[in-house]
Amino acid sequence: MSALNVVAGGCYLLGVAVVVLSAALALPLRQAEDRLHLLAPMTSLGAPLVAVGLALRNGWSLTTLQIVLTGLLILITGPVMASAAARIAAMQKGAIPRETPQ
Amino acid sequence: MDPWIVGDLLLIGLALPVSLWLAARGSAVERLVGLQMCSVTTILALLGFGQVMAQPSYLIVPTVAAALSFVGTLVFTRLLAPRP
Repeated sequence: MSALNVVAGGCYLLGVAVVVLSAALALPLRQAEDRLHLLAPMTSLGAPLVAVGLALRNGWSLTTLQIVLTGLLILITGPVMASAAARIAAMQKGAIPRETPQ
Repeated sequence: MDPWIVGDLLLIGLALPVSLWLAARGSAVERLVGLQMCSVTTILALLGFGQVMAQPSYLIVPTVAAALSFVGTLVFTRLLAPRP
């Protein structure tokens, strides 16, 4: 097994560990805002690490391009989805006015 | 053991059931957060599945799912917003 394969497998398993730990740690939390704190590492750290691991494993190819595209989609849209959910949670609690533009 | 199989099994066997549980319990916003976790976990599990099966054609599914989950979540936030 080459060094590149070891790095690729390490990145992949590290990303999987981040996702699994984030999901497991969110289980006892009751507030949506608290759970959002654990969604952030899932989308901003776990998913890119998994994508990097898979991209390193596949080398320069169209497969890698698609994997990187998927990882980038999660990386970019994750914080947007989290902030949208946090905004709704704040609206329902009355922390921000309801008539602010969405 | 192959790290790709181990990682995919961890995602499918641990992270996905927990995310599904989070998506099924609590208030609407809490379930929405669980749904987001579920989306991310499923997309990553499908990416790993394509690697394990050595089928690059399978990768179109997580790519489309990533785009659709974003749109779907925004629709849900729109519907969950309290009426003024």
